[in-house]
Amino acid sequence: MKKIPRRDKLKIYGDLLMILNNQSKTEKIILSQVQMRMGVPFDRLKNYISELTDLGLIENEHSFKLTEKGRQYLIEYANVLDFMRRMGLSYR
Amino acid sequence: MYDPTIRTAIEVVSAILCFILLRFMIKPYKLTGEGRYLGLPLGFGFLGVSYIIGALTFSEIILSFRQLAYLQLFARTFAYCFLVVTYYFSKKPLKNSRIKWNITLSLLIVALTASIVPSIVIPEIAANSYQATQAYVRMFNLICLLYISIHTLRSHIEKPDPTTIWVPFGFILLGISQYSLLIWAIDGSIFAFNGALVLRLMALTVFLLVSYLTFRNPSKKVI
Repeated sequence: MKKIPRRDKLKIYGDLLMILNNQSKTEKIILSQVQMRMGVPFDRLKNYISELTDLGLIENEHSFKLTEKGRQYLIEYANVLDFMRRMGLSYR
Repeated sequence: MYDPTIRTAIEVVSAILCFILLRFMIKPYKLTGEGRYLGLPLGFGFLGVSYIIGALTFSEIILSFRQLAYLQLFARTFAYCFLVVTYYFSKKPLKNSRIKWNITLSLLIVALTASIVPSIVIPEIAANSYQATQAYVRMFNLICLLYISIHTLRSHIEKPDPTTIWVPFGFILLGISQYSLLIWAIDGSIFAFNGALVLRLMALTVFLLVSYLTFRNPSKKVI
């Protein structure tokens, strides 16, 4: 099995926001599926989700979805990662 | 033909391009907060400063030509050093590299101060050693640019994508520009000198286009 490299919180938040954003477009978010995609234990995933909610990046009405602030953060995050990739810099 | 006005104009344009690039280059550091990405804005910032010093030197506003040219030489060298260490540490795992990065950055700052202060305190040092120093310094710059070009090319080869070829291309242009300056420093070829300035402008334009297309392209679907 391929070893998942260690991620810092910033990357975890970014990945989680991206997964939540992609899933919320198509279906109701099921946390176990998010957990599988993220590759983190369920209790830690719940902690991350509560941290993102506290930061105002996601909200939980009927299902989890990104707030405007979360969407802006995700756009900036994706842009900077793309820029670093284009500049030949790795982010790990 | 060497025209100081054109030379000054090119230095000013290069400095403006570098300071615009600085706004983009600081973004990885601002987002991640990781010191190892600080070399990118520091590198382009120092490049910009070196071009400003170049403009002052060649416009002949300030008379101590050798002293300023000496400062310009070292500002540019340290710019490339900052870029090299950023590329070097970007491949290393974060956990092990944080202390090493801090030590390297501190050493670079000490070395920068140690190289520049004597030329300010005792201007004769800069005046007497400029000619001999510039060939070695330009050779060192060339090695730095070679390292960055290979590093970025390897990143491109690992995950080939048409968008990632432009930055290695830009660094290769900067490297050829530095090589041309080395030829100029050795045999005074004006063709090599003019070629170096044109190649430098081309390289900075490539970096600017890459940055602009990443952050400003409205058609790019981010999410």
